Amino acid sequence: MFTSVLIANRGEIALRVLRACRELGLRTIAVYSTEDRESLAVREADEAVHIGPAPARESYLNIAALIEAARRTGAEAIHPGYGFLAEDADFAEVCAAEGITFVGPPAPVTRQLGDKTAARALMLEAGLPLLPGSVEPLQSAQEAQAVAEKIGFPVIVKAAAGGGGRGMRVITEAADFAAGYAETRAVAQSLFGDSRVYVERYLEHARHVEVQVLADRHGTTLHLGERDCSVQRRHQKVIEETPAPNVPAEVTRAMGEAAVAGARYAGYEGAGTFEFLVDRDGSFYFMEVNCRIQVEHPVTEMVTGIDLVQEQLRIAAGLPLQWSQDEVQPRGVAIECRINAEDPGRGFMPTPGVLREFRPAAGAFVRVDTHGYPGYRVSPSYDSLLAKLVVWAPDRAAALARMRRALAEFKVAGHGVSTTIGVLGKIIDDPRFRGAVHSTSLLDEMQAGS
Amino acid sequence: MTTELDLVSADLTNTGLANADLEAIRHSVAHLLASVASPPSMLRVTAGEVAVELHWGPVTTGHPAAAAPSAEPTPRLVEESYVPEQTVLSGEPLATRGTSIFAPTVGAFYRAATPGAPPFVNVGDIVAAGQQMGIVEAMKFMIPVEADRPGRVTEVLKADAAPVEYGEALFIIEPLAEG
Repeated sequence: MFTSVLIANRGEIALRVLRACRELGLRTIAVYSTEDRESLAVREADEAVHIGPAPARESYLNIAALIEAARRTGAEAIHPGYGFLAEDADFAEVCAAEGITFVGPPAPVTRQLGDKTAARALMLEAGLPLLPGSVEPLQSAQEAQAVAEKIGFPVIVKAAAGGGGRGMRVITEAADFAAGYAETRAVAQSLFGDSRVYVERYLEHARHVEVQVLADRHGTTLHLGERDCSVQRRHQKVIEETPAPNVPAEVTRAMGEAAVAGARYAGYEGAGTFEFLVDRDGSFYFMEVNCRIQVEHPVTEMVTGIDLVQEQLRIAAGLPLQWSQDEVQPRGVAIECRINAEDPGRGFMPTPGVLREFRPAAGAFVRVDTHGYPGYRVSPSYDSLLAKLVVWAPDRAAALARMRRALAEFKVAGHGVSTTIGVLGKIIDDPRFRGAVHSTSLLDEMQAGS
Repeated sequence: MTTELDLVSADLTNTGLANADLEAIRHSVAHLLASVASPPSMLRVTAGEVAVELHWGPVTTGHPAAAAPSAEPTPRLVEESYVPEQTVLSGEPLATRGTSIFAPTVGAFYRAATPGAPPFVNVGDIVAAGQQMGIVEAMKFMIPVEADRPGRVTEVLKADAAPVEYGEALFIIEPLAEG
């Protein structure tokens, strides 16, 4: 196994990876932008390299600087975390060319699955169910309109290169289609430098349920159960939980098997996530694959007892998985709330500033993954995730009670800083969420006061 | 120290700057204060174009000229390695160490265009703003190190081929005498 890992990320995930490395006895190398020079990851790492100024494209997205940092510190592996270069096949290729182990799937797999239309075509071949829509990118506005009318409104237009909830648009009426299609293409071009889009049926009351998989290089591919990520705002996840409440066990079992079949077909290696939409009648449809560790991975860790980041590192080192599918036995319920430095009263606008008070929740069966501390400056340069509050309990009612208690305990204050703690508490108390009859529209419905 | 910082923050509130900017300045000042060996006797913050002055020893209130910053443009952001102006005890004009030229990326620092070629600059050389002073190489990208102002090279801080990080000081240049 390699003995040193450079962590090409920042924030809570940099610390998360650092801890996994340390538990495996690996030397850790942090990289940081000027903005992050006082971060906990920099303080905790065995070594830290200053790679650039605050803007991500000059630091955390700067492949040359990262490779230089790895070379000079003798790092044998690079863990990319999530976001930034985590799903950049070029970065994975450069690492391989430099003789550095990239902790993630092989570059060709990431390249194919990262293109959403290519991923849809591949998973169709693998036998996974897709939503009605176009498999290949649309060639013209006329073709797009024809496909949309054939599958019926509402439809969703998505960027082939999209991700992170960006580059997609729901269109409810045929009359609005041409304008919405053109706009999504323009947005996709400006965000991803790739204007290709595809269209599929939009399910209004669906649940977003994803399956965690682990695949080693020795032919073992496992699924570690599902995560329900239906509570979203602007297509970004706010609360995640496992198991998916109110989804029949035979449905989640079939999704797990589909994910494993898809991962095997794609030649997947490492930790990955297969995202599905689940309709009210229990039918499920493949959406996309995330070729990385995900923000919400802790809920799976809490119920399975498997450290996903350690497994990523072991798999990258060529070690075999230590379990069979039957030995993966999720137990109890885990829920994660994302505490963001945002103002829910102003459209979840990010609120940078200095934390005068930062007191995370604690106590039995409570886990907090955070890079925050009193005096920490929430930077306007990066995303607004401040902490992930995760609780475990034997059943969902107890988990909800524990989350309610933990949210009330979590204190964050600072000049100009708002957080999502209050709105998270409202969701936890919402009868639709408590009754698990919610869908991805829950937050919109709550804001509309219905 | 804390009291002074609180006063500073109070003074900054009417400058029309955004709160985030004020926080950034306050943060940088706190960082600067934490990095100096002995606490200064006076701290002056101007918020418009962001100037930060630290003074050691008795404050020379009778000699405003001595306390004024040099005519050089003030840096927009106070960096970790920014060398603060220092006032000598007598209130005599400043003995400054000049201005640092920083590495533009992490990589290997080279003083010459090719091995064996004469260095771009040597101590004592006069450089013009924009003149190339060295190279930092990161993965075969050659990024020029350029003087951001005219001056005379007084120190070369890194050896040829030395590994450097982003923002490390590579050269010190001092302003040319007036006239």
